[in-house]
Amino acid sequence: MSFFGFDATLPRDRGHSSKAPGFGQAQDAFAGLSGKGVADDDDALDFEETYDGLGDQLDETDDTFNDDTFGNDTAQAVGKDFDFAGQTSRVADAIEGEGLLWQAKQPPPNIHATRHNTQPAKPAKSGYEPYAQPTYIPDLEANASIWGINPKRQAQPQQSHPRQESQAPPAAPARKMMSLEEVEAMMLSQSKKPAPQPAPQAAAFPSQAQYPAQYGQIPGQQGGFSGPPQILQRPQQPPTSRAPPQAHAELPGHAVPPPVQQQPTILQRSRQSGPDQSARHTPVQHAQRPPSQPRQILQNPNRLSGHGQPITQPGQQRQGEFQRGPQMGPAHARGPSFPGVVTHPEQLLHLTEEERAAYLIEDAKRAKRNHKIHLLSKDNGLMTPQDKNFITRIQLQQLMAATGGLEEHGPEAALTEDFYYQVYCQIRGTPRQNPHQPASQFAQTYLFQTGGRYGMGRRHHRGGDNHMQRMEQQVQRAVEAAKAKPKNKQLVIEGSLGKISFSNSKTPKPLLNIKRPDHGDGTQGSGRRPSGVNAHGSPIIDRKTTLRNIENVYDCLMKLEDHERRMPPPLAENSDPQTIQAHMEWQTQTQKLHETLWQDLKIMEPINPNSLTPHPFIAILSHAKGKKAIPRIFRQIDEQQRIIMLTMIVVHLDMLSVVAKAIPSADEPNLSPAIREEVELFSHAVMPPLFGHIAESPLNIVIGLLGLILDRTNLHLVARTKIGMSLLTMLISRAELVKQSTPEMNPGDWEQWMQLYNRLFDAVEPVLPLIFPGSVNDTEDVYVWQFLAAMGVGASPEQQQRLVLGVKDRVMDTVAVSKALPAELASVRLGHVNLFMRAIGLDVELLG
Amino acid sequence: MSDTEETGSTAVSEPLDLVRLCLDEVVSVKLRGDRELKGRLHAYDSHCNLVLGDVEETIYITEEDEHEQEVQRIIKKQSEMLFVRGDSVVLISPFQ
Repeated sequence: MSFFGFDATLPRDRGHSSKAPGFGQAQDAFAGLSGKGVADDDDALDFEETYDGLGDQLDETDDTFNDDTFGNDTAQAVGKDFDFAGQTSRVADAIEGEGLLWQAKQPPPNIHATRHNTQPAKPAKSGYEPYAQPTYIPDLEANASIWGINPKRQAQPQQSHPRQESQAPPAAPARKMMSLEEVEAMMLSQSKKPAPQPAPQAAAFPSQAQYPAQYGQIPGQQGGFSGPPQILQRPQQPPTSRAPPQAHAELPGHAVPPPVQQQPTILQRSRQSGPDQSARHTPVQHAQRPPSQPRQILQNPNRLSGHGQPITQPGQQRQGEFQRGPQMGPAHARGPSFPGVVTHPEQLLHLTEEERAAYLIEDAKRAKRNHKIHLLSKDNGLMTPQDKNFITRIQLQQLMAATGGLEEHGPEAALTEDFYYQVYCQIRGTPRQNPHQPASQFAQTYLFQTGGRYGMGRRHHRGGDNHMQRMEQQVQRAVEAAKAKPKNKQLVIEGSLGKISFSNSKTPKPLLNIKRPDHGDGTQGSGRRPSGVNAHGSPIIDRKTTLRNIENVYDCLMKLEDHERRMPPPLAENSDPQTIQAHMEWQTQTQKLHETLWQDLKIMEPINPNSLTPHPFIAILSHAKGKKAIPRIFRQIDEQQRIIMLTMIVVHLDMLSVVAKAIPSADEPNLSPAIREEVELFSHAVMPPLFGHIAESPLNIVIGLLGLILDRTNLHLVARTKIGMSLLTMLISRAELVKQSTPEMNPGDWEQWMQLYNRLFDAVEPVLPLIFPGSVNDTEDVYVWQFLAAMGVGASPEQQQRLVLGVKDRVMDTVAVSKALPAELASVRLGHVNLFMRAIGLDVELLG
Repeated sequence: MSDTEETGSTAVSEPLDLVRLCLDEVVSVKLRGDRELKGRLHAYDSHCNLVLGDVEETIYITEEDEHEQEVQRIIKKQSEMLFVRGDSVVLISPFQ
């Protein structure tokens, strides 16, 4: 009050006060308000008149370092919560409930008179943890928020006369919303509330009186701001004598209910003993708390709001016992896990040891948790919901602009945008009926989630909806704008000579304009090499032609697969003609594409047995990408075409690169890695569809295929390669299976088969020792044993003997080698040998 | 393979159609900065951005030794997969 030797109510004082430590943001938050709301309030007071010019005489120079001394960080927190009335009304219910609760619980009011003090401390603890350590600071903090209601205005008037008039208005907005009963209940509750913490409070109050020199501006402010008020000032005056008259004096000043409500407070208080001066804060504090609490909520939406109040009580109690308690902020303590909420210190005393221990542990846990929350919530509230919505809208807009109007362009656009994702989804069978779905679903989910924030008991229910609507509208507009844009790709500015053309992701600016030649005429592609032209006529096929053929195949395949995706809805009996029409067209188109694919495969090109160059289809198979295409092609072609393809491959078996180049020579027993890879790929890509087909073929097909192999290919070469041998195995075993499964088979067919088998046997027998790849140590010889097993099953006893003779060395070697191998490997290798041995009724075990 | 553009016919109507024939084939690519790549061409685009697999990169560095003699050093690197930005591509050719 007397820091500068002036009366505290001098106008400039408020400047200092706002920078005082411990007042924190609360005060400043209200400073914003003072400018707008209250200054133009009805009050009849003309400040210019009351101003005596003392302020001008102030020695301002000493204020220079006030910021350094007290810190000016308060400036940041200019608050937004000046809606006291609204906020109070929101908390009013809670306060009332609380009051009633206490009324019911604690009839005798007097005992706890001195403990009211906790009440004021409460706001300090909620949200201002950093300021909480010294006990008196919470009090100052609380006071600060009281003044904050109307700092500027209060400062203007000098001394105490204006004070009275100015006292009420600040408190008024808060009070107006409360009914008389509410206020009474509130006061009752306060008066009855036990406060375990008289000490800090007591310390705090004296502090104002005792250290005026240090914190001169604080008392000064109290005098000047008197805001909520009257009561605040009282401590500085002889309490008993002054209070009642003042209360009365207020009455005429404000014909509004608030004063009336106040009266009981003061009167009540005056009845109480001396130390309860401080207790008079309580109503004020109560009125104050609402504003501060919503703010905390704003800062940390996770924290609970007004309902947390009763719960805060224990927290305050703790304050008395553990100094750390208050730092946690009572507002955090939602739903204490301790079952019996200790709201009263005496309750704690009555508890048993264990209970108390449990309570303390619980408490410590809670404190820890609160501390954690506090640490985590450091930056909470940096963005207001509006900010977040703004960002969300921007993101959504960009998203929608990026994906464009998917709905507009349909599935094709979706595929163009994100082909691999779409295909992936198809393969994975993601539940998704049409390509629109992801985008809108996504957007909706996103919007819904964002909107959901408002569902959590926030007061902006309506606001949230509005935001969602606005966002949706904005997205819609953005989409429409994106749609409209490509239409005007050029801008011609009047008077200018040129045009400005835009480009975007949808319609890139064409830098090169190359016209494709018409495909209709025979002179395809002027740039085409002459050698390509005679590709049709002559079998001279070079590598490039093959590559081109492969690209054609892929083109057609992709068109076909794309076409499949566009299949119209399935036909039903009552389908409308339009659907039927669509189906007809779709089928015609499919038919056409199938024909194109078949032609592109070049499979029907005449076979020229004397040609040095391979058949175009076989040439296709010599490329890795050609092999990879086979399974995809196999899906598309019909039964007849599959047989043709199988036949083509079988006829050219020894010309396939994977056979012709995969024959181990004497000086190079091991295949090169490139060939190995080719063989691998072929057996993974091409063989499965072929095998699948053979496995369902009737005997006559198998007979025909084996006959072709025997007639048209060099069996000695074929038998020495993995691919050739696998194919032979497949054919032989299929025949065997057919024989076993259909006993009443045409004997003529079987006769024919046995002839072929015998021919095969005779052809293979001489190369039996050569059919194994690499040395005995080569473990990849399963397929040979499989072949031998297949041969052995159908062989006559005499043939079996010849078989054994042919591979005896290898069998013995393998057995010998496996003895030196670790048990696991050995059993694998012996198992392979056994494939064959068992087929002819033997076992490796017999070999000892 | 990974090229979804519709060419209709593979008649060579633009230079990149030739590159298309090299898809999934081993190509050698000459780059600016005395570098060469050899690898399987997985994808390309109109900027000649390339995706290559199993790449061997060769960097030719010419240095001067203490006698001011030009010495050529060759660094070879192997990469499983490489994205090559088109602006550094000088030449693409099928590897033979």
